[in-house]
Amino acid sequence: MPLVKKSASQPSGGLPADDDHAGLLQKLSSAEPDARWNAARALGNDPKDVPALAAALAIEPMPRVREAIMTALIRIGDESSAAALLPYLRSPDAARRGAAIEALQSLPGATAPFMLALLRDNDSDVRILAIELVRGMPPAEATRLLCSVLEQERHPNVCASAVDALAELGTAEALPALQTCAQRFAETPFLPFAISVAIARISDANGG
Amino acid sequence: MANSGQGGHASHVTPEDVRRLCEFLYRRTGMLFSDDKRYYIDRRLNERMAASGSSSFQSYFALLRSDFDREIEHLVNAFTVNETYFFREEHQLRCMTSDLLRAVTRDRPPDEPIRIWSVPCSTGEEPYSIGIWLMENFPEVDNYQIEIVGSDIDTRALASAAEGIYGARALMKLPRELVARYFEGVTADAYRIDPGLRDSIHFTKVNLVDPREMARHRNFDIVFCRNVLIYFDDASRRIAAENLFDCLRPGGFICLGHSETMSRISSLFRVCRYPDAIVYQRPEIERDQD
Repeated sequence: MPLVKKSASQPSGGLPADDDHAGLLQKLSSAEPDARWNAARALGNDPKDVPALAAALAIEPMPRVREAIMTALIRIGDESSAAALLPYLRSPDAARRGAAIEALQSLPGATAPFMLALLRDNDSDVRILAIELVRGMPPAEATRLLCSVLEQERHPNVCASAVDALAELGTAEALPALQTCAQRFAETPFLPFAISVAIARISDANGG
Repeated sequence: MANSGQGGHASHVTPEDVRRLCEFLYRRTGMLFSDDKRYYIDRRLNERMAASGSSSFQSYFALLRSDFDREIEHLVNAFTVNETYFFREEHQLRCMTSDLLRAVTRDRPPDEPIRIWSVPCSTGEEPYSIGIWLMENFPEVDNYQIEIVGSDIDTRALASAAEGIYGARALMKLPRELVARYFEGVTADAYRIDPGLRDSIHFTKVNLVDPREMARHRNFDIVFCRNVLIYFDDASRRIAAENLFDCLRPGGFICLGHSETMSRISSLFRVCRYPDAIVYQRPEIERDQD
């Protein structure tokens, strides 16, 4: 039979040696990408590591290592981890923005305390990305946050994102805010139509 | 004492107990069980409490945490799903011989083995299917040394895989001539895999989210990792993806289950669309920076 049985074991080559904690932190800034990758993957258990991981993330040129650092932050998963990821919502690099959104979506609880500030950010692009984060929250909390957007937001594209999210997960509590928003943006061609679709979907989902 | 394991909530197991158990299981394996799986959880918890002679959740949990009598392994075994059959998702096997192996062997000298990994392999149907498919459909099978490894976190499943005895249900997708060629009847409803095929496959225990266990598995050309990541949460999926990245040679491929997509888990891999399947490739040459 041409199939041969060999031991599964192969030279590991990828696992960090049993570095002590200080050694791992030091390797985050190694010149060797594999050393940085292995260090990032070995960290991620201790909230005290967040500042070092955040500093490494800020200067890391390799996408693979950045992803491992973000995974370590997700594993720690506290508010400081979310805070370390938030700056990348403003990155001019779409890959970094996308990676940060995916990572933050994994941390709805840790991200929640930042949501109001994000939804009121000066940058409308950040507010739109914040709405993407709201999608991962429990429907009642998401509805509450999205309604606050509809009540205060002046940028039609941000409102449109909130309406789109509400069409997917909104509850009946959102209907008054949607109706008011439609009146506020009556002159904007697409928004009243999008709102009517969202109202119909929410009403259907609530047996109305 | 918990009830007899026929479903329903265990009488002395509180929601907080279940939360602690699920947290423990998640930390150990990456498998995530939420409240809507309460029936599933209760049934297996009751089984383990009864089997370990624990009169309360507290005593069972103490025993579990001390790993008395390999209780962690028993609990993990109880929570894993081992439902599979031969030639499941045959289109991926076809993709392996029509496209993936062509790419893998392009610059591969014949004396350098081709390594294929089935993880999780459950009770062995998948690694044996890979072996049978190669023997039947890969014309160059005699020109290469091909190593197939099957791994799973469930040691009971691994023991069953190594034994290689299957019911008719597991063989339902196999053409009759292949059953005749690769199996012998043991009873009216039990078939034993060909001993030569059985002995050519190496079985190992592995936990996909444990970097140390995964580090013993390296240099694979093709990994079949199907229908397991769906049981993980986002963080565990990312850890598993990073571990799998390290297990592959540069240019190696991962085949996921039909309802799974690596693109939503990790950006480490390149999406490859072949006529028979979408698979994911560890880039041959890594981008060194943006």
